[in-house]
Amino acid sequence: MQKKIIILLTLVLVFSIFSVVGAQEEVNSPDTFTYVNIGDQSTLDPHFAYDTGSSEVIYQVYETLIGYDGESVKNFTPLLSTEVPSQENGLISEDGSDYTFIIREGVEFSNGNSLTAEDVKYSFLRGMISDRSGGPIWMLYEPLFGAGFAGLSDVTVNVVGVEDPKQLTDEQAAEVLDVLEDKITVDGNQVTFHLESPYPPFLNILAQGASWGSILDKEWSIEQGAWDGTAADIAASHDPVKEEDPLFDKMMGTGPFVLTEWVNGDHVVFNRNDNYWRGPANFKTAIIRNVDEWSTRKLMLLRGDADMIYAPTQYRSQVEDEEGIVVTTGIPALQNMNMIFNWDITTEGNNYIGSGELDGNGIPSDFFADENVRKAFSYAFNYKAFIEQVRMGEAIQLRGPIVDPLLGYDENSKVYSLNLEKAEEHFRKAFDGELWETGFTMDLVYNSGNDPRKTAADMLKSYIERINPKFNINVRGVQWSTYLDASVRGILPASFGGWLADFPDPHNFVQPFLDSSGYYANRRGDTYKNWADEVGINDLIAEGISTTDSAKREEIYKKLQKMSIDNAIDLWIDQPTESNTRRTWVKGWYPNAVRPGVDFYSMDKAAE
Amino acid sequence: MRKESYELVNYIIRRFLILPFILFGVTVLVFSMIMMLGPYQRLSTYINDPAQLKGQDMDKLISKYGLDDPWYEQYGRWIGGVVKGDFGWSESAGQPVTTAIFSRFPATLELALFAVIPVVMGGIWLGVLSAVHHNQKFDHIIRIISTIGWSFPTFVFGLLVLMIFYGVLGWFPPGRLGADAAAIVRSTEFIRYTGLNVLDGILNLEFNVVFDAFRHLIGPIVTLSIVWWSYILRITRSSMLETLRKDYIRTARAKGVAEKFVINKHARRNALIPVVTVAGPMVLGLLGGVVIVESVFGYRGIGQYAAQAAQQLDYSGILGVAMYFSFLLILINLIVDVSYAVIDPRIRLE
Amino acid sequence: MKWKEVLTRLLKNKLSLFGLIIILFFVLVAVFAPYLAPPRSPEDAYEIPRAGWQVEPQPPREGYPFGTAQGSYDIFYGMVWGTRTAFRIGVIVVGFSSLLGITIGTLSAYYGGKIDEFFMRITDVFMSIPFLVAAMVLTTILGKGLDNVMIALVTFGWMGTARLMRSQVLEIKNEEFIQASIALGASDPRIIFKHIIANCIFPVLIQAFMRMGSMVITASALSFLGVGAPEGYADWGQMITFARDWILGGQGSALKYWYTVVIPGAAIMLFSLSWNLIGDAFRDILDPKLN
Repeated sequence: MQKKIIILLTLVLVFSIFSVVGAQEEVNSPDTFTYVNIGDQSTLDPHFAYDTGSSEVIYQVYETLIGYDGESVKNFTPLLSTEVPSQENGLISEDGSDYTFIIREGVEFSNGNSLTAEDVKYSFLRGMISDRSGGPIWMLYEPLFGAGFAGLSDVTVNVVGVEDPKQLTDEQAAEVLDVLEDKITVDGNQVTFHLESPYPPFLNILAQGASWGSILDKEWSIEQGAWDGTAADIAASHDPVKEEDPLFDKMMGTGPFVLTEWVNGDHVVFNRNDNYWRGPANFKTAIIRNVDEWSTRKLMLLRGDADMIYAPTQYRSQVEDEEGIVVTTGIPALQNMNMIFNWDITTEGNNYIGSGELDGNGIPSDFFADENVRKAFSYAFNYKAFIEQVRMGEAIQLRGPIVDPLLGYDENSKVYSLNLEKAEEHFRKAFDGELWETGFTMDLVYNSGNDPRKTAADMLKSYIERINPKFNINVRGVQWSTYLDASVRGILPASFGGWLADFPDPHNFVQPFLDSSGYYANRRGDTYKNWADEVGINDLIAEGISTTDSAKREEIYKKLQKMSIDNAIDLWIDQPTESNTRRTWVKGWYPNAVRPGVDFYSMDKAAE
Repeated sequence: MRKESYELVNYIIRRFLILPFILFGVTVLVFSMIMMLGPYQRLSTYINDPAQLKGQDMDKLISKYGLDDPWYEQYGRWIGGVVKGDFGWSESAGQPVTTAIFSRFPATLELALFAVIPVVMGGIWLGVLSAVHHNQKFDHIIRIISTIGWSFPTFVFGLLVLMIFYGVLGWFPPGRLGADAAAIVRSTEFIRYTGLNVLDGILNLEFNVVFDAFRHLIGPIVTLSIVWWSYILRITRSSMLETLRKDYIRTARAKGVAEKFVINKHARRNALIPVVTVAGPMVLGLLGGVVIVESVFGYRGIGQYAAQAAQQLDYSGILGVAMYFSFLLILINLIVDVSYAVIDPRIRLE
Repeated sequence: MKWKEVLTRLLKNKLSLFGLIIILFFVLVAVFAPYLAPPRSPEDAYEIPRAGWQVEPQPPREGYPFGTAQGSYDIFYGMVWGTRTAFRIGVIVVGFSSLLGITIGTLSAYYGGKIDEFFMRITDVFMSIPFLVAAMVLTTILGKGLDNVMIALVTFGWMGTARLMRSQVLEIKNEEFIQASIALGASDPRIIFKHIIANCIFPVLIQAFMRMGSMVITASALSFLGVGAPEGYADWGQMITFARDWILGGQGSALKYWYTVVIPGAAIMLFSLSWNLIGDAFRDILDPKLN
């Protein structure tokens, strides 16, 4: 009995090996494109999504009013709008606060419904009403309503004095809806956005790559249960729970692909939209697969089962020179990494600051409020080694929050470099000389699994401990949940941060990093918030976003960059570049720093 | 005889009745462990990546998900759902917990079923042989090989298998199905009877799917087998050795009973007791999915899900997985205990 | 049976001799760790020093006899201090969990009835929770660090021993000589207890030996999954995990980074194998029914 089973299994084994044998040299499955990435997707609702995994999927199926011209992040091309609004063609009003888009005729959603201006208006209104907490819609509120407006509740407070939109009565809702509708008006096949005041990056906020700018099919969306267009439905449609959101797992767009199957964290399958207005794509099927294991992805690429994979910089050398593989490096990415100093450490329940006093066994709450300490740390980091060895040379040193090539970035601006004498000098000056005498002990924490952060921490430890034997740094890795908890409670003396641009404009960097009401100001504490206000940072930021004069803006942002370095607000580490790893038979790929992932439509598979 | 079978049935019924209590115990244990964490720590299931911290108002999120409600309220909410068959939403899987488990279960089941054959058969057969040839060369060699198999870190072996059989030879790819077979399975003509690709392929008469599914299974099976086969072999061998020395065996031998008969009838039967004890957890382990094998081969099973849920503190997911395991374990234990009673009339149920 | 006799017989058996020598070798390495791989400071002894910040592993060379792993961690240092870690984990976890398991198993089987039910159901509850899940949740609650890993391993590792002990005691309980002792009026439970434990302990002891070896493997599996000792801690499991993304080698050569896998892998294997061989030999020797 055992023997028979063994024989049977062996036969099946042999048979299956030879039944489907793939050739490695010829183009594998020319009608299917497979891209293997890590991670997963959170939601398919363009107004809910705020992560690259989701945005990448949305990109294939939905479209926006305008797109970027090839690799550029500054120049636009028309997409669902027939022209890109500008002062020259009059589609941007003279005072710069009205943008008009002419909606393209003859475009259909994949279900056959025609694209109209109504759809456009609906899309943005629905976004603003849905406005889930922690979501991307604040980017629509700021330009349309002005600084200080970040969500629907800000409008409801302003208009009817109600803080929670879910509590709106029908009457109040009607008022609110009127106010919203005044911001986006329709005239025939034209849609006009009425901004509160000129907002330089407005077009970037709507351009392709920004999921929240996607155009929905009003009829279809309402059928699915999304906001039905009436005031009464506002309360029910606001801030949905992710999985209860009607558009969580369904998509209907004008784009080159339609969603066929989504198994979260495993794969997403798209089929070609044969009625796509720009002509059908080159593949019948496009697949995004999620495989977290590097070695497995590598093998899939080498076998040709994957046409393109995500290859982290540190492992890429394993496949770079293989036959049939091509790699593009040095792709500018709008992201940065830094270490945030906590100027005002919460001492209660804090294990990371030792004794909590300046007695050599700990650090006081205002340890990093002393500029000399911050500067000393900044001089004690080996930027060059970090970039060369951790990033394999594929990064540039950060010169403040703003990244290359955005306005305000100056490659000649002053930055720190490893200089232990200067570091010592500043340590000696700190706390009027007291720090040097007593020494200190602190924990430097990173979230487990993040190697660059750990290396940065190890680096600081090794250099700083060399300067004075009384200086002690413990590098600690903690679980992500612990890290989250600690950073929210403000107990981490220093934490690592990194920002991936929402849209390519310096405002999207200075606001979160430097503004008192910005995201990172919270991690620095009240001391920073007050200081930033005093030295005029907030005013500069407000000015920078409200003027359309490029030269003036450049000046402002350069100043902000300088201040962030001169005052060592944070430890500015680097801006890594990206790379792309694919088979040689992939044609048509091009990089774009704003695009959230792959662009299936632009590519084709052909042998050499 | 009748009294004994009555006792047996009684026993089985009693065990089934206890089942809900054990399940309850498990959930309370797991829930209390999770509740030892603060609300911000538990929030990490919704924000599981530093990149997502952007602009989130943590406190708003905490009240939205009720993370700082008293523990009995949170537990009550969860239990209330369970009673209706709703195990909640699994953040880490992005699906309802029930969907997450049921969609992954067939994959793990398929893997387990196919792995059990070589593991158990090979392991038991070789274990017996090894014990019989105790301290001879054969025994030594088998023991060393099996220890190496057991101590070889699974993922190293898995990656090597992947490299040789997929990377070099292209025979056994990762994942469950290739793109073409997956397209067939996805199409409306293909009917999903069981969720087991090989079986469904046969039932739908789509043999392409059958062979494709099988190709994808071999890598994980080989990797899994080496580890578990070694384990079963060792257990079988040591228990066989124990048994071979027992008095009644010596008696049988002294009586002149043929050696072969001694082994086959007496020894084997009794040696099986510890094996059966171990087989239970082993099958449970296989059914629980082997996390490492699944991640190396990109095989979407329960093991991978369990690890994911645990890492991301997805507490509905963790509770769901714990319940699933609990249920399986009790079932298997029951089968094991019943087999005990059947195999060895001396060890009777108290 | 006297210990001297046991030792002699162990030494005579070729396989167990081999195992003993290996273990002795590891013991020596562990004891002399501070001389073989001097730490930078006593508190940081278990933190593997980094030769630089480079991500790519580098082969054995001057000053780094075993080469450096991913992130430039000194493999030799990690292996040497990792020996101490292996013993610590093995002895503490196996020791405590066995104690716990023996106690519960014996009590459960001896008293039987409701007590047995109770303990067995508790065992069921603990066994139902996937070990990995439990370990991960516990380490999150308690924090990262080897001590917490050990707590997790003990908390969820006693069940096997308990069940084994219980089945042994159950078997023996029915044996004649125990029944006889009771019938003869040996009313002191302690004496009976002693009889029972003396006769049942051997399989458990043998199992304990085997577990010494398998503990290291379990711990390395936990490291692999991101639970367990923090990155850079001197632990064999860590070292093997460092090799994870380099196993398939690099340009042209699949064996390019062999030292990242082979060295820690061999140590784990030898350690486990040796305990196994010794355990097997012990069984042969301690079995009272052997001629």
